Amino acid sequence: MSFFLLYFDELKGYYKSKVMIILWIGLPILVLLFRLLLFIAPEALSMPSEISIPISSLVGFIVSSIGGALSAVMLSTSITSEKNKHVYDLFLIRPVKRYNLILSKYFAVFSCLIIATFIAYTIGILFDLFTITDLSASNLLDTLKSIGSTLSIMSTSCSIGIIFGISLSSVAASAILSMYVGNQLLSVFLVGAFFLQGQLDILIFNLLMGSMLTAIFLTLAVIIFNKKQL
Amino acid sequence: MSKNSYIEFQSITKSYKKNIALDNLSFKINKGNIFGYIGPNGAGKTTTIKILVGLITEFKGNILINNIPLESAKKELYHRLGYLPQEVGFQEWRTVEHALKTFGKLSGINSEILEERIKYSLELVGLSDVRDRKIKHLSGGMIQKLRFSQAILNNPDILVLDEPLSGLDPSSRHQVKQMIIELAKKNVTIIFSSHILGDVEDFATHIGIINQGRILKFGSPKEFQKDFDIGKIIEIEYAKSISNNPKFDLDCIEMVEDHSNKQLIHIKLDSDLDISISNILKYILDNNLKIRYFNVIKPSLEDIYLKLIEEDLK
Repeated sequence: MSFFLLYFDELKGYYKSKVMIILWIGLPILVLLFRLLLFIAPEALSMPSEISIPISSLVGFIVSSIGGALSAVMLSTSITSEKNKHVYDLFLIRPVKRYNLILSKYFAVFSCLIIATFIAYTIGILFDLFTITDLSASNLLDTLKSIGSTLSIMSTSCSIGIIFGISLSSVAASAILSMYVGNQLLSVFLVGAFFLQGQLDILIFNLLMGSMLTAIFLTLAVIIFNKKQL
Repeated sequence: MSKNSYIEFQSITKSYKKNIALDNLSFKINKGNIFGYIGPNGAGKTTTIKILVGLITEFKGNILINNIPLESAKKELYHRLGYLPQEVGFQEWRTVEHALKTFGKLSGINSEILEERIKYSLELVGLSDVRDRKIKHLSGGMIQKLRFSQAILNNPDILVLDEPLSGLDPSSRHQVKQMIIELAKKNVTIIFSSHILGDVEDFATHIGIINQGRILKFGSPKEFQKDFDIGKIIEIEYAKSISNNPKFDLDCIEMVEDHSNKQLIHIKLDSDLDISISNILKYILDNNLKIRYFNVIKPSLEDIYLKLIEEDLK
């Protein structure tokens, strides 16, 4: 019961936050810009022949890199700051499990990101509908794969934000580290996508990697938070 | 454990790395008592309180709530405990009402009576007018009142207040003291920590003085006065026509401090104060001494507190 109460509460807090407003507006604009660039000057985004990552995946990586970094920083700084202000004391003297506090934050931010991503890609598809006369099923499939990959990467970034937010007491340090480590981990997805060409579907790889890393980081965050003496 | 004992700390020891925060701490609080937990900053008051409310879980010793170990009593205690932490923030995007609704629901208050409880707790602290205001727009004093409001939201029968008067203006301090007295009338057991003894002197039924993690003294204010009879002094001011202060020749007098037209008479510790006063007054009348002022100076709890802390530091 407390999880859903906290989740909907956090959702109310995050969806109106400045960072989320940037993402609500920024992600669709970003996708639109890439689509526009692809339409006007396709050679600007063309890959060397030896690297054959689909353009939709590339857009996905860029969107998820920005969206993921911003949400990781937002999560880590808000958790560190709330922890420093003893905000959680008033929750934990009530029958609330510590993991519910963490998970409700993660799912609230990730839910906002899912919505922002779908809005962004829907705008992208609508743009394609008006600009590409022969919008094929494979184009749509590429976009769907890109959404899946984007969300996997953003989920990992959010969990990194959570772990730094819980572990550190300096807001600046948690912001810098969550952004830096988040970006470093993004390379795992990129390198994986590059090496797995033809062997494993990029979407499956990203989904597997995203869920695995998210689960590991969230478990670690819960363990650390449970050990913290507030 | 006594029959009425409600909260009992048994040999609580807590260390932060090499620093001992609580050193074999033992005391008990009876139901309906107002316990003033007094000590200088860093004495161990907040650590004791955090252990009681479950925020610190790693410690040695036992806490019994109504004869039940804390760990087993926790589930029930969550619904019966109100806690006002010394330092606590709120998520500032919430409104006053939203914050209280969340805490109320988390405490398991039935939604039908939650509205009533929110109304009552806001009225009690005088925040009804700012019910819909965002917390980030509240003043420091208002936030302290909101902290108090959330502590009494679930109609607790144990109320733990960690430095509840800090940061409040004199009028708000008076208001909070009155609220505590009102709650005590409803048989709520109150634990009230402060580094200022004067904060609890007026209404505490029991006082515990802690320093460097150890309880230096525990008892009722009367027991404090009795056990720490650090001297009773009678102050007498004479009329200006008296050129020399009189020389008292009474057994009950330990010593006399002479000042211009004034004397401070120290009564022996083993002498009864009432009999001593009668004897001194009789002496004054018998010798036809004209006096302007006669006053008995008893040591205040503050004096006792300072004496205890000083002795402990030595």
